[in-house]
Amino acid sequence: MQLNLRSPLFVSIVILSASMPASHAVSEAASDALASVESFASIGDTAARSAAIFTELGKVLTHPRCLNCHPAGDRPRQGDMARLHQPPVERGADGFGLPAMRCPICHLQANFDAAGMPGNPIWHLAPREMGWEGKTLREICIQIKDPARNGNRSVDALIEHIGEDHLVGWAWAPGYGRQPAPGTQKQAGALVEAWVKTGAECPN
Amino acid sequence: MLSVTINGRAYGPREVRDELSMNDFLREYLGMTGTKFGCGAAQCLSCAVIVDGPDGTSYTMPTCIAPAASFNGKSIRTVEGHAKNGELSVLQKAFIEHFAFQCGYCTAGFLNEGQVLLERLAKKPVARADLEKTIVEALDGHLCRCTGYIKYHEAVRAVILADPGRYLS
Repeated sequence: MQLNLRSPLFVSIVILSASMPASHAVSEAASDALASVESFASIGDTAARSAAIFTELGKVLTHPRCLNCHPAGDRPRQGDMARLHQPPVERGADGFGLPAMRCPICHLQANFDAAGMPGNPIWHLAPREMGWEGKTLREICIQIKDPARNGNRSVDALIEHIGEDHLVGWAWAPGYGRQPAPGTQKQAGALVEAWVKTGAECPN
Repeated sequence: MLSVTINGRAYGPREVRDELSMNDFLREYLGMTGTKFGCGAAQCLSCAVIVDGPDGTSYTMPTCIAPAASFNGKSIRTVEGHAKNGELSVLQKAFIEHFAFQCGYCTAGFLNEGQVLLERLAKKPVARADLEKTIVEALDGHLCRCTGYIKYHEAVRAVILADPGRYLS
């Protein structure tokens, strides 16, 4: 199942969330921006502040730039419409594709905008257990804290992964024809750090 | 700057624009039009050429989505390099004998992919029982709108079965 942002359920959740103090900062930040960590200071309850920060981070995690390579199945998605990748490549044993269709064959060291081809030195799919597609933000939150489903990382390690990893950083410089993830990688890293330091709580 | 070896011949160093694709470099700069431009998105692989790695392994790579500059220092083979001294390669002859192609637009890609497979099997033979799967996996991704693929597969299979001591374990 895909994350359907237009479903009545999703709309209801957004409306409900917007009415809650914990989501105040989320509702104020433009969709292409991220609210600063400081903007959550008015939420007195630490757990609620932590969950609100993660909700803001969710704008990144559920963005096509991230979701397309964290798919539910073995085929990545592509583009802002998150359509199935063409040609029909698959994850393969190591995340770098099947033997005859390896990711780095087409995805080179950097974006090649003349052909609309994204690139990064280690372009590959996230492991299957790290698939986020079709999950609620709460489910993603619980998953991202689980070492068995987050690449065997501590929550502290997520700060660096999201805030500094070069491949993750591609989401903010995706090249011509692709919408970048909201905010900046540095802002996203700051949100992760603030989320971890406030207890890494998950939104309801 | 681009220095590349194509079919054993050195080209460059030559100044190339960052946005120049390898496909345009081959076709427009060097006049090597055997490498086709199809979908422009690495989906049909009619533009695939053989890249020979320094470790002796080879693989195919689409040229329509790759900057020419990314081939700097590499050694590649194109369809123009298969025939030697005016004689077609074994696989080229098999393609003709099996009527593998009609319009021929995809043929260069299939030829390069099939050649890489033959060279791989020569180094690491497969069991006869695994041959069909091996051919299917190797040619997977190459699109043909005329012949329905079967004759390409038949041609590659025929070359392998004609020399089982070389290609089969």
